[in-house]
Amino acid sequence: MSPAAGKRPVDLSVSLAGIRLKNPVIAASGTFGYGTEYDGLAAEFGAVITKTVTLASRPGNAPPRLCETASGMLNSIGLANVGIDAFISGKLPALAGLDTAVIANIAGDRTDEYAALARRLDSAPGIAALEVNISCPNVNQGGSAFGADPAAAAAVTAAVRRVTGLPLIVKLTPNVSDIIPVARAVEAAGADALSLINTLFGMRIDIERRRPALGGVTGGLSGPAILPVALYHVHRAARAVSIPVIGLGGISSACDAIEFMLAGAAAVQIGTATFVEPGTVRAVTAGLEAYCLRHGLARASSITGRLLA
Amino acid sequence: MAGPDAWLLAFRSAAVARSAAPGQFLLVRPPDCSRAMLRRPISISDVSGDRVELLFRVAGAGTRSLAGLTPGRVIDIIGPLGSPFDIVPGPVRHIAVAGGIGIAPLRFLLRRIRARRLPVTLCYGCRTKRELVPHCAVDRIVATDNGSCGIRGLVTTALSRAVDSHPGAAVYACGPWPMLRETARICAERGLSCQVSLESRMACGVGACQGCAVKGTGSYLTVCKDGPVFDARTVDWDQEPPT
Repeated sequence: MSPAAGKRPVDLSVSLAGIRLKNPVIAASGTFGYGTEYDGLAAEFGAVITKTVTLASRPGNAPPRLCETASGMLNSIGLANVGIDAFISGKLPALAGLDTAVIANIAGDRTDEYAALARRLDSAPGIAALEVNISCPNVNQGGSAFGADPAAAAAVTAAVRRVTGLPLIVKLTPNVSDIIPVARAVEAAGADALSLINTLFGMRIDIERRRPALGGVTGGLSGPAILPVALYHVHRAARAVSIPVIGLGGISSACDAIEFMLAGAAAVQIGTATFVEPGTVRAVTAGLEAYCLRHGLARASSITGRLLA
Repeated sequence: MAGPDAWLLAFRSAAVARSAAPGQFLLVRPPDCSRAMLRRPISISDVSGDRVELLFRVAGAGTRSLAGLTPGRVIDIIGPLGSPFDIVPGPVRHIAVAGGIGIAPLRFLLRRIRARRLPVTLCYGCRTKRELVPHCAVDRIVATDNGSCGIRGLVTTALSRAVDSHPGAAVYACGPWPMLRETARICAERGLSCQVSLESRMACGVGACQGCAVKGTGSYLTVCKDGPVFDARTVDWDQEPPT
């Protein structure tokens, strides 16, 4: 028996935006509810990001809200959520008991709404960081409009930065011609990390009814179909900024996750894959560990940015 | 195959058989994931011993893939999920109303009601006699579009007669939206308890994504977690969800 027997041979923990995660696998916002819907699964993740919360509760968009597509799915949920008061009083207490870092995702129609949300959460117990959603494709106001304009993205980031000491992760949209100006603007405005990508704009039509397949007409495309697009953006953004990048978009295996980390991601998020297989997180962490052993790496964080050429 | 486009999928699972209640569903992973990625919500249609039956209609790529399963294969399921039918206590007649493939969750309910030796009637509507799916023996009124079996016409006509001869009956329904809406109306008019099982496209199945929402009389309701069985009074029947 080696002296290491019985111990974890690979250190999976990562430090990110000033928080320490036990592993680099994070549950993506909107796919993991308020952390407790998937019984016992939250503790497997290094962090969970809660469903986007807004100041007032929102009912969400008209059904149908889902449409499966080739190797992916469209959603038009429309930020359905309980609102910040019910989030803090009704959802946070249960989250505090989970053995994982809790990151709250926020969105608003205006810059001052983002700031108001951040101020509320700054004093709420059990929040490790904020993820600022400037990239939702399914709302009429705000949402990805902020994320598509470097100045607006920076204004939201700065407004939130002013009112909270919590680590700030800003979630970017791929629905831009160039993600780098937005990434740099957000970094300059005080973001501690970036998450990318949110979903891609998409649409399907029911040809018999001659109506859009989604009640919201258009939706956000997620799943394996978008992985190459996400990887492209992560690879570029990671080289353009010096803050950590969290990669997401179609990751459903450890191999997928390692691609994002090699491209420069400090951590990854699992979203749609959790719907298909809730245990994806376990497969990804186990696969990360096996990869590190195979390549003689003592810690998973050393995979980040190791892409050659 | 259980009918012209109905499929019966039976498998053994002591865990599912032990915990399943009528009205609950399983998320079943289509075996051909290149054509259908998401799991399909399929109601539990019967349980006996450790044998579990799922009954479904082929409606798209996912159910087509499931229909291609051959005996001996292992299937990947999550569940039982969702809120079940609540068998109303007291000395009442229980009336199940099925429209087409909507018989699926009611077969399991009928078995449980009969096991309790409670009086029960099934109102079963189909397009033709060929579409009728076998179920445990109960008092039954059939309605077909072409009169090939039972009365010719709508199952809700059969329901009206049944509830009028059984005042105070408890009604349980599953089927197409117009049938459920009319069933809800008939019951509301007479002040009867009415539970309906709804369907919707789903992603998570556990209330996390809000993707399966339907309009309730107040807020949206998730079919996966708040349902799939609802008190008919809580559903906004004017908001028919496209299928």
